[in-house]
Amino acid sequence: MKTKIDQSSHNNLNVADMDDEQINIRKYFKQLRMRLIIGLLAGFMLPHIVLSAYFHFQFTSTLKKSGKLNLAALSESQRNTIDLFLQERVVNLFSLFRGNDFSTAPSKRDVANYLQSLRQVSDAFIDVGFLGPDGIQIGYAGPFSFLQGKNYSNEEWFKALLNHEKEYYISDIYLGFRKKPHFTIATMQMIDDKTYVMRSTLDPDKFYMFLRTISHGKDVESSLINKGGLYQIVDPDRGVLLGKCEYIPPDKDKTGVHEIIEKGDPVLIAHTWLKETDWALLIRQPLSIAHAQMYHARRVMVITLTIILLLLSALILFTTIKLIGRAQDTAEKKQLLRYQLIHASKLASVGELATGVAHEINNPLAIIISTSGVIKDMLNPEFNMDSSPENILKEVDIIESSVFRVKSITSQLLSLGRKDEGSFVPCNVNNILNDIIGGLKEREFKVADIELILKYDPDLPEISLDPDKIRQVFLNIINNAGDAILGPGSITIITKSDNENIYITIKDSGKGMSVDQMKQIFNPFYTTKEVGKGTGLGLSVSLGIVESMGGVINVQSLKEAGSAFTVSLPILKKRGVENG
Amino acid sequence: MGNIKSKKLTVLLVDDEDRFREALSRQLSVRGFNVLSAANGEDAVKMVHNNAIDVTILDQKMPGMGGTQTFNEIKKIDPLIEIIMLTGQATVDDALEIMKQGAFDYIMKPMTIDELLFKIEDAYTRKVLMEKKNQKK
Repeated sequence: MKTKIDQSSHNNLNVADMDDEQINIRKYFKQLRMRLIIGLLAGFMLPHIVLSAYFHFQFTSTLKKSGKLNLAALSESQRNTIDLFLQERVVNLFSLFRGNDFSTAPSKRDVANYLQSLRQVSDAFIDVGFLGPDGIQIGYAGPFSFLQGKNYSNEEWFKALLNHEKEYYISDIYLGFRKKPHFTIATMQMIDDKTYVMRSTLDPDKFYMFLRTISHGKDVESSLINKGGLYQIVDPDRGVLLGKCEYIPPDKDKTGVHEIIEKGDPVLIAHTWLKETDWALLIRQPLSIAHAQMYHARRVMVITLTIILLLLSALILFTTIKLIGRAQDTAEKKQLLRYQLIHASKLASVGELATGVAHEINNPLAIIISTSGVIKDMLNPEFNMDSSPENILKEVDIIESSVFRVKSITSQLLSLGRKDEGSFVPCNVNNILNDIIGGLKEREFKVADIELILKYDPDLPEISLDPDKIRQVFLNIINNAGDAILGPGSITIITKSDNENIYITIKDSGKGMSVDQMKQIFNPFYTTKEVGKGTGLGLSVSLGIVESMGGVINVQSLKEAGSAFTVSLPILKKRGVENG
Repeated sequence: MGNIKSKKLTVLLVDDEDRFREALSRQLSVRGFNVLSAANGEDAVKMVHNNAIDVTILDQKMPGMGGTQTFNEIKKIDPLIEIIMLTGQATVDDALEIMKQGAFDYIMKPMTIDELLFKIEDAYTRKVLMEKKNQKK
């Protein structure tokens, strides 16, 4: 019953060990998964983000330049059209002036005909007038008949015309005698050495309509200002004629595009100066429209990049989780298998041990039963033996000492099979070796004519070990050494140490191994023993245990001469535990 | 014990366990056997040379010359000596193997004196039969 309880607690310790290791495996793979995901995401995403940012910057810069160039080109195109319009109006007036005889003042009817012919060409013409050398309008046709006979000699446009290097002049918008915004195109001609002037006024509203026509479909707003910054032509929503424009273009630039803020909104504004008059054409375009293509491209790029990054992230997450999951599964299975192997090997070791133990226990039991038989014979009058209490007591003493001999064997057996601290504790390897060979193995080897030679280093440092597991390693190697010796022989156990390791060498004078055998001895289920005598798990499991303690097993062997197994265990392990 | 009691049988007891050997010798002696005992194979072979042994009780596992070797040596000297193997091991493979070579029987430790007496009686009966058979030849 006690054995069963011990076995159960022993199994519980193993399960606890395995659970701890499983928690460690899971912790390790959790960290690995995180590191891998972060690393892969960073590795894949960063170049994408950096490249995207670079291309976005380049793309934005190019599109901004392109937006400005487009607006500048549009402003120049519109300026040429406006200049052409004005030139055509000048030519219309010139043709009229040069094509008719003005040696005498034209009649009212003639002037009316002139106006009609002008309006046939352009409805922007309001009226037409003919001025004599003194600046008095001697002929007029148009809606403002009171202008007939008006003296224009002091008007700005009249003075400018006379001083102008060209034979025509286009005025700014002004109110004049009619008190309504308009502008004048005036031409002059020398007749009989006297300067006569033909003038016509144009309707700014019609000019505005013309401007709107040429801007139609361009998503821009065009206006004209004079040098003083007063609107000459303007959208009613923007300002009023002769009102002050907030933006004054630089004089020196023939054409230019600037980004300004108007009423809180960024606006791209292009300016260009007309050739025919000192007016500047201003073309406004809100940045949202100017850069619409860029904004659209940016939106598409951000959406595309986001989708790519999300897909990439999902792929990385999915692949990593699946791969790590598989690796974790494999590691857990491997760990389970290792525990099963250790357990199987332990059972095998105990089984091998049991054969020897049975012999050792049955011998004292045989003494007990024979001696108790002697006592019975003493008490049987038929045999006439000396049955004095002293004699019986002697026999009882023999029985008692045999019982203690059995007890000592079972204690040693339990020390091999039961102790399972499941954790690292400071150990003296010399003592562990003594536990194994003391009693059980010593007697077994004595019977088998195997001499045990112990060469222990008395100053061997204690190191941190799992005593149950290391006991299993030494038991496996010592069992193998005993099995390798056929007939009389010897097993030498040597312990020594240097600054880094302790070394335990178990050397036998047995049959030794070939090179091929040596290559395979650590493979699971490989055995050189007879069928049924070995499981082939001992050395494989022992190597796993020693490696888990940071150690190694070295083997030297010569066929027919013997083998030596040296287990090296690091001393550092102890320091680590103590410090930790 | 019929046949056994009509002649004082000589039994050689070979075992390295002194106390076991001594106790068993005493039990056999009081039951009328002439008991010789040896602590190892070498001594047993010498005794077979010097004495007329009827039955040998031989321990399987002994230091020095083991049970199997001792068995062979005894049989070389006198093939008619019946040998009962003693084994303390749970498995009896070695004992069965040696029976194939001519041992009379095996008995597992620990055993009672009565179990042993039955085996000795049977062994001696066979010895007598074998001797008669040889005389006829």
